[in-house]
Amino acid sequence: MHSVDSNNGKNFWKKSNKLVPGRAVYGAMHPPLAQPGKSKVSSPEKERSSSTGISRSSGQTSDSFRNYWESVNDAWECEDDEFTSLADGKISSHVSACAASQVIDRHRSGLLPPPLATKSTSAADSVSSGHQDSRQAPIVSTQKTRSVSDGSIYGPFNDGILDNRKHLPQPAGSAKSLRAGNATVSPTLSPAHLMLPSNHHQHNNLRERLTHDPDRERESGRLDRFEEVLYGSRSADVAELRKLSWSGIPPKLRADTWRALNGYLPANFERRQEALERKRKEYWNFVKQYYHTRHEDQHSDTFRQIHMDIPRMAPLISLLQQPVVQEMFERILFIWAIRHPASGYVQGINDLVIPFFVVFLSDVIPPGKAVDTYDVSLVSGSLCEGVEADSFWCLSRLLDGIQDNYTFAQPGIQTRVTQLRELVSRIDEGLHRHLERHGIDYLQFSFRWFNNVLMRELPLSCTVRLWDTLHAEQEGFSHFLLYVAAAFLRHFSPRLMQQQDFQGLMLLLQNLPTSNWTDSEISLVVAEAFKLKYMFADAPKHLLNQQQAQHYQAGGHK
Amino acid sequence: MITSAHEQLRHDHDYLVKFLALGNSGVGKTSLLYQFTEGCFNSQFTSTVGIDFKEKRLVHRCSVTGREQGVHLQLWDTAGQEKFRSLTTAFYRNTMGFILVFDLTNEQSFLDIRSWMEQLRTHAYCESPDIILVGNKVDLTEQHVVSEARARDAAFKLGVPYMEASAATGFNVTACVLALVDAVLLRMNRVVDDTRLTLGKTVSPDDEVTSVCVC
Repeated sequence: MHSVDSNNGKNFWKKSNKLVPGRAVYGAMHPPLAQPGKSKVSSPEKERSSSTGISRSSGQTSDSFRNYWESVNDAWECEDDEFTSLADGKISSHVSACAASQVIDRHRSGLLPPPLATKSTSAADSVSSGHQDSRQAPIVSTQKTRSVSDGSIYGPFNDGILDNRKHLPQPAGSAKSLRAGNATVSPTLSPAHLMLPSNHHQHNNLRERLTHDPDRERESGRLDRFEEVLYGSRSADVAELRKLSWSGIPPKLRADTWRALNGYLPANFERRQEALERKRKEYWNFVKQYYHTRHEDQHSDTFRQIHMDIPRMAPLISLLQQPVVQEMFERILFIWAIRHPASGYVQGINDLVIPFFVVFLSDVIPPGKAVDTYDVSLVSGSLCEGVEADSFWCLSRLLDGIQDNYTFAQPGIQTRVTQLRELVSRIDEGLHRHLERHGIDYLQFSFRWFNNVLMRELPLSCTVRLWDTLHAEQEGFSHFLLYVAAAFLRHFSPRLMQQQDFQGLMLLLQNLPTSNWTDSEISLVVAEAFKLKYMFADAPKHLLNQQQAQHYQAGGHK
Repeated sequence: MITSAHEQLRHDHDYLVKFLALGNSGVGKTSLLYQFTEGCFNSQFTSTVGIDFKEKRLVHRCSVTGREQGVHLQLWDTAGQEKFRSLTTAFYRNTMGFILVFDLTNEQSFLDIRSWMEQLRTHAYCESPDIILVGNKVDLTEQHVVSEARARDAAFKLGVPYMEASAATGFNVTACVLALVDAVLLRMNRVVDDTRLTLGKTVSPDDEVTSVCVC
């Protein structure tokens, strides 16, 4: 294969991932965090489906897989000798060679093919678990006819049922994450959204989203699994927890899971309580030590800004209008700001406290109570102090990963905006050209996306769900957010294409209609983001612009 | 005749004018622009992050030439916090007029006008861009810490027009924006063909600023 043009200087998403473009399809059957080499199947859905004898690959997958394949089709070059054309699909020459040799071997030894039923399951296993060993290879060829008729390449992935409901191409993770994320939410259920008011969206309460819904959780069966991972053994398996959390965390366990994924809660079970107490005490010592300096000259500007922003933060959420809550936010932000002089307090950081605060608070109020209207003075002092301290530490950890977003000239955000522009020009050239033609600068709309982790663009309940995934991803709030932003923008591509002038586009971009979004839209967006990340993780050719690519191709033929 | 001309202008503006509102955090930039475009006060704004876009179309009669022109106003609202300056100054270059806002109840926001002016002179399209200085929250009389005389004096020294307004009551808000529109159009007309799109009406040059909003 060719090497990257060292001059393009745009290989920001090239990760150390060892996958080559195209191999991604093997990973396509995995839940998003599964590594292709691992064969461990952990999802309850999967267990259920295999126990009922249904092939693991669903109808949705068939459709989504084709979409996926089509969308990454350009990752394979015609002359790529690693892949051979097969009817209207392509198949790895390695797999076909193995298949051929196995058929020959079998004929030679006079064995008959194994019965079909076991074949399909084992095939699903073999492919989904990433094993490409030669023993299972024949199945690929025996199932070929069906796969070709589906227009996709690997027969065992498909059981032929097409699902046309999906309006976005989906990677493998999406089917699962959708199911898990929002299986029982009917379309008529009023979406609970706490939109931060830059978009002037109406506010409903969080009741449905943030409180415990036993039916949904029991049905999905994920709760047990979460509990087992989180509390079951002496030490939580954080990798496993990430996998589980990627497609949404049960509200009941969200607080502990976030604390664990964030790195704040120690994995070791026995040390947890002690560590939490120590950290909480540490925070309150900071408060004792520094908070009284807020009116001193060196800090007064910082505190004035915080004090100005807190009352006007999310004015539609009554919880955040309570003086006691506002004081908590002021302390959290002030202590954080003076401990991080390189960035200090930047508007937007205040928004980032809200999800932590709301999630940790909902963990200590009586079950069934709506957190967004709850009177915090009813919560006992020590619990309140815990919520505040935990919010502080989790905010700190989150910001540690994105601190260059808030240092002088905000280089982190500038970089992300540039990367978003490049990425969109790759994945949705039509939209990119449309935006450029009308003079839209990505900085004009996406600066806020990165500065506020999309919080101003989404209802709060959706932000909470999004953060499940961002917490589950390594570098979720920095690197993965880029792909989420790209997927988010692309979601609105058809609408944006209908806008025929600058102001129409800009008004839409700054007020994207997400007020009735629920978890299912977020699941779609993160699944799309995962696909993009996977697709581009080690596909540096995509970073070349058209001209470079042609030049490079011409050079490649010589 | 005039009505149909207005109708036509509604769809087919003559000038695209870009304004930018700036000033310290919390002085009321967003509320002023909202009052101008929507005609009402919304107290439920959160801090602006980055840069926000609003627009309004109107027909403006030039105070000097009396010429009526369709104007498509693009209004950019900026974040006031200093941290965002490297972002917002990038947008100064394409801006024709600046609405520089301070809060009559906040001394610091008034003192910082000088540094905002320096920013403008450094980053705007020219050394003397069209600016209007607006003292907001004039309705909060009791809490004023900056007197009108003091503000006028400062504006005079900076060489910019000064107006007091209230985003809460709407007082003078439209007048502020239109005064700036007038200044910008005068500047533009100096370099634009005089015969273009006059409506055939003769108006004495000393007519007052009169504008008709068609939106």
